[in-house]
Amino acid sequence: MRGSRSAIAAAITGLLAVGLTACGGSSSSSKSSASGGSSTTSGVQSIPLKPGENPSGQSLTGGKKGGTLTELSNGDFEHLDPGSAYYALDYQVVQATDRPLFSYPPNSASTIRPDLATAIPTTANGGITDGGKTVTVHITPGIHYSPPVNREVTAQDVAFALERGANPNVGNAYWPAYFGSASPAPLEGSTASSYKGGPLKGIQTPNKTTIVFHMTKPGAATLISALSLPLSSPLPPEFVGPLDKHAPTTYGTNYLVAVGPYMIQADKSGKVSGVGYNPGKNETLVRNPNWNAKLDWRPAYLNEIKVNVGGDSTVIGQQVLKGSDQVQLDTVAQAVVKQAYQQYPAQITFTPGSGMHYLTLDTQHGVFKNVNIRRAVYAALDRAAIVKARGGALVAEPGTHFIYPGSIGYAQAGGAAGPSVAWNTNVNGNVAEAHKLMVAAGYHSGKYTGNDQTQVVYGQGGNGPAIAQIVANAMTEIGLHPKVSGVDQSTMYSKYCGVPKQEIDSCPTAGWIRDFADPLSILLPTFYGPAIVPTNNSNWSQQNDPAINSAMEKAAAIQNPAAHAQAWANVDKMLVNDAVAVPEDFDNQPNIESKDVAGVNMLWNEGTWDLAFTSLKNP
Amino acid sequence: MTTYIIRRILWGIVLIILVSALTFLFFNVFPSADPAVLRAGRNGSPQTIAYIRHELGLDRPVYVQFWNYMKGIFLHFNFGYSFYSGASVLDLIKDRLPATISLTVGAAIFWLLMGIPIGILSAVKRGGFLDRTAMGGALVFVSMPTFWLGLIVLFLFADDIGQWHVFPGANSYVGLTVSPVDWFTSLILPWFVLAATSAAIYSRVLRGSLIETMGEDYIRTARAKGLKENRVVWRHGVRSAITPVVTIFGLDVGALLGGAVITETVFDIPGIGRLNYDAIIHSDFPIVQGTVILAALFIVVANIIVDIAYAYLDPRVRY
Repeated sequence: MRGSRSAIAAAITGLLAVGLTACGGSSSSSKSSASGGSSTTSGVQSIPLKPGENPSGQSLTGGKKGGTLTELSNGDFEHLDPGSAYYALDYQVVQATDRPLFSYPPNSASTIRPDLATAIPTTANGGITDGGKTVTVHITPGIHYSPPVNREVTAQDVAFALERGANPNVGNAYWPAYFGSASPAPLEGSTASSYKGGPLKGIQTPNKTTIVFHMTKPGAATLISALSLPLSSPLPPEFVGPLDKHAPTTYGTNYLVAVGPYMIQADKSGKVSGVGYNPGKNETLVRNPNWNAKLDWRPAYLNEIKVNVGGDSTVIGQQVLKGSDQVQLDTVAQAVVKQAYQQYPAQITFTPGSGMHYLTLDTQHGVFKNVNIRRAVYAALDRAAIVKARGGALVAEPGTHFIYPGSIGYAQAGGAAGPSVAWNTNVNGNVAEAHKLMVAAGYHSGKYTGNDQTQVVYGQGGNGPAIAQIVANAMTEIGLHPKVSGVDQSTMYSKYCGVPKQEIDSCPTAGWIRDFADPLSILLPTFYGPAIVPTNNSNWSQQNDPAINSAMEKAAAIQNPAAHAQAWANVDKMLVNDAVAVPEDFDNQPNIESKDVAGVNMLWNEGTWDLAFTSLKNP
Repeated sequence: MTTYIIRRILWGIVLIILVSALTFLFFNVFPSADPAVLRAGRNGSPQTIAYIRHELGLDRPVYVQFWNYMKGIFLHFNFGYSFYSGASVLDLIKDRLPATISLTVGAAIFWLLMGIPIGILSAVKRGGFLDRTAMGGALVFVSMPTFWLGLIVLFLFADDIGQWHVFPGANSYVGLTVSPVDWFTSLILPWFVLAATSAAIYSRVLRGSLIETMGEDYIRTARAKGLKENRVVWRHGVRSAITPVVTIFGLDVGALLGGAVITETVFDIPGIGRLNYDAIIHSDFPIVQGTVILAALFIVVANIIVDIAYAYLDPRVRY
């Protein structure tokens, strides 16, 4: 998904930005514990994490039952309907109230486990057949919905939930990419332009606990990963169906039911609006009375979670650090990160692999059609400066390729250093190398000699202007004439960078957060040619190289995990080689808690607090 | 007077329609995020976006959208539905308005109680220690940005994060009907922050106006007739001098009722200002339009009340 969370939070907190400068000392990888690890590429020294700040070693057991946790957040939720939810904050609630077929445990960003399903389908257990085109999933019996539905969950409910993803009234953002027409292995029947939800040939339910998926091409590995998304969480058709007839659906805004350990407080009819959910104000989660702990792998220690939305991020940070039984839900203000790191080290965690940002380069129009000019910008860009602009080494590290830390294929793609091509090796920017590449591009002076302006559109909030300036400097070094314009981040995506016919040459504040650990979710929506759409396009560079497209299709079809990872790593290398964009930074997400909270971070979801594992030390 | 009021009300309605039309125009002409795209999500297909645009009525000409919107308001009192959440705009406004009214009315009382006496005393004791101190202090408060002052008072006096745990801090607001005591205490700091700058301005304005008024011939006549100085100042001086204050008071209250977004954000008070801010972030045009109409309505009403008040304060004013 697009990095909107980072962008919005940055817009709100940017006025109080305090750049964290590297303070030397021993280097450590943000993935390892504070005791050390390999240093990052020269130019940015990592800041050592103190004990407890890396959430990788958190215990998932032994918490105390009871108590009420208060979450404070400047930003609000977007969608609480699991069919529409596509945002880190939404995922936190949906993960506590719903049960997709598969999930990531909080302490893993890459290893999937069964949730509603009884097992991960494999060839050995008969879950993957027909050369990877058919996937069979069995669900756990005896799981019940919360009131007022109450009845047992069935496989038909899962089918209904998935099929409604194609309903425009639900507006699911990833249905086409992983299940429908833009997927390399779409479900049978999903690609018909007339299909807008309803029974689908590609999803069959032979009995109450079995779902069989039929794809048009082999794609089992990716399908299983995609079924970790909230869309696969079961919903009762008799309750949700009538609500879906509204445009947009009123399920999620007015009514909700749950199958997880928690539910949003509702009245007897299941209405949550004005009861447990007030948009822009607050939300209350209570225990689901029909939840059976024996049928769930999560402990659900807390009795209640109260979410308060609104307020200034700096004030929220102070309230959490100095208060009790509180956590911050959204991104921490930069000034608070520094204060927490220095004064409250036991109350802050930094989660690696929380997304990345990159500089997009329009490969189809203008100066950036020339691959060597793209490589020259890549070489010239000072990525270390961008890390500093984003807040320093605690919250970011220089980007060196596109599969970011914590994702499958990251190590195979080169790890922290990335592919060792000339334009990638120096994160401080190498102007001499950039000039050489401009000569290769046909400009013997080493600089662009044309008169065309290079259109650069960036998101204005937070550190956007600083990053745009760094990018403009790099372009100027090689003789380009950047014309830089700042707009609201949402406008940048929806009216400029996401609209191919606008032919925006470059967008320096684009970001991406993966949907699941499979690198397909990082590379396919953003660099796959057939994924280019006229509006709301996420392939901002408009990359459409047939060789790269073909490599992605082949990688998506590989079922063997090791070969799958290597194939995507090779795609990543092709993208770096072609300089289709310039990776700017890999994000580490800071999260804070009060001193008496035993928080557990979801490593796969930007480190947001896992409500089903978090507990209070003194409930 | 009655004819005047009716005429003002009718012109007020025309003004509100004009403001609505301008808002429609700005939203459609100047770059802003496409609400259909935002609603469709990050990977929304062109077909989904087109469908959503149609369902929200955004594919119709602007003048048709505006006509339908105005019809909805005047015939059904329907301000539309949020593009984002689907909630009724009117319901959202009704939900948030009490907080904004609480904040505005309380702050208004604060700044009148502070600004008017200080302004009068400064004028009466002009040039003295009290005058210099009061005006110096007023200058300081006028110079303080509301956002900064809000953070400072929280970091000094909030009971959770402050140096001295005196008053409830951010996110402590509750409705009057929930707990009157908690309601009152939760608003003390926001009232002070909102009132500080206005009180400073009012004291300076009233001081200048009163000094000028006290030099008028009729004041000299009143003194010559042997009236006590207190009576001269209050009955004759302040009554005339306060008209500029009444003018700006009406505008200030009208504007604040449209939402004090900075104070509401700093103190996490769920009022109209924050509703409007969130709607702008999400390109949720129906809410933006609804809050703009509300703000325009408050300004129009405030101005009418101010004009009526003039007639009572200043006998020279006749309509």
